[in-house]
Amino acid sequence: MSREIPVSDLMAVALARTIRDGEVVAQGVDSLLASLAILLARAMHAPSLTWITVAGGVNPDPGTLPDSSTSPAWLQGTRAILGNPEFYRLAMRGGMDRMFLGAAQIDRHLRLNLTVIGDRDRPRVRLPGGGGAAVLAQVIPHVVVWRTRHTPAIFVPEVDFVTAQGNVEAVVTPLGVLRALDGRLVLDARFPGVSPEEIAARTGFPVLPPGPVRVFEPTRDELRILGDLDPGRRRELEFPRAPR
Amino acid sequence: MQAASLGIPFLPIRGLRGTDVARAGGFATVRDPYSGEEVYAIPRIRPDWAVLHVHEADEQGNARIYGSPGYDLVMAEAAARVILTAERILPAEEFAAHPELTKVPGIFVSAIVRLPGGAAPGACMPDYDVDAGGIGSYLASAESEADLRLYLERVNP
Repeated sequence: MSREIPVSDLMAVALARTIRDGEVVAQGVDSLLASLAILLARAMHAPSLTWITVAGGVNPDPGTLPDSSTSPAWLQGTRAILGNPEFYRLAMRGGMDRMFLGAAQIDRHLRLNLTVIGDRDRPRVRLPGGGGAAVLAQVIPHVVVWRTRHTPAIFVPEVDFVTAQGNVEAVVTPLGVLRALDGRLVLDARFPGVSPEEIAARTGFPVLPPGPVRVFEPTRDELRILGDLDPGRRRELEFPRAPR
Repeated sequence: MQAASLGIPFLPIRGLRGTDVARAGGFATVRDPYSGEEVYAIPRIRPDWAVLHVHEADEQGNARIYGSPGYDLVMAEAAARVILTAERILPAEEFAAHPELTKVPGIFVSAIVRLPGGAAPGACMPDYDVDAGGIGSYLASAESEADLRLYLERVNP
């Protein structure tokens, strides 16, 4: 394997591998890469996962990945539809195992900001908000975060606003995989061609573990099935044109 | 709104601990009188009006929603009054033949408007998806009241 593997593929595989077979897995709005990771896990190592989409679909077969979170594709093949209250009630009574969340800022205490950049009353950027993340990140035991850029402005020592915190166990970025260890975020794996030093330089707080950091290698099967699931590479939609 | 639908002042809820969402919302905690567990108490929101777009309604406001109902049903119970906009108005006999398909009972509804395409440029699953171009022209026109008026006349002649 070489560094020519597209970063979107590496991230999708890394997200997929966090899923364990049999889990009830959910994703929110605007979550193309997470949805693809769930489909990949279902096709690879977790055939008996239950996928609940924020649109209310249960184990849908979306076919070609749509670019809108409200597309009917997220309900294609579902045999039941959950409204939003049902979605949240299921999570709150402990019925969801894993959730994928995005974040504008992530800090060393694994806290997420999806609300504002800058001061809350005079924000530089007003973000869409966290939806139910403040609750979900504490009632769902396994929370995995992804972000398609990795810069010191995103990985900050302290977030400007704590939208959610709790059960974040991993963060997947274009550079590698970070994991929660004793309440801190620590580099767990780096993508091919990325050095630990580069990751350290692009993170606003220390993340390097004491020893060497393994290189994340997707298998040929994972990459082939990913290609079959998203032949049109819709997954690139989440990636800014700027360098990773 | 779930609290409002139940007619109670607040709803105890898990999560929110250590977040600025709880702080900024001014949410207080209460102790479960039975277990002693501390949980956040979210005050009810009781809207004066809910405006819900549905696929099919009759002239009494009985409504069917296909796709995900989202928060529509809890809003219909939380709000003091409900206005429905509907893609299609169906005859009463249609609803009488299949009352189990009615998601919003007409007794909750104050007014019904026939409004095909009423959710556009947003989505109305499964009838139509988001119209990205339409959202763009809405945003472009929303800067000024005059432009917005022109936009509304264009999309709803």
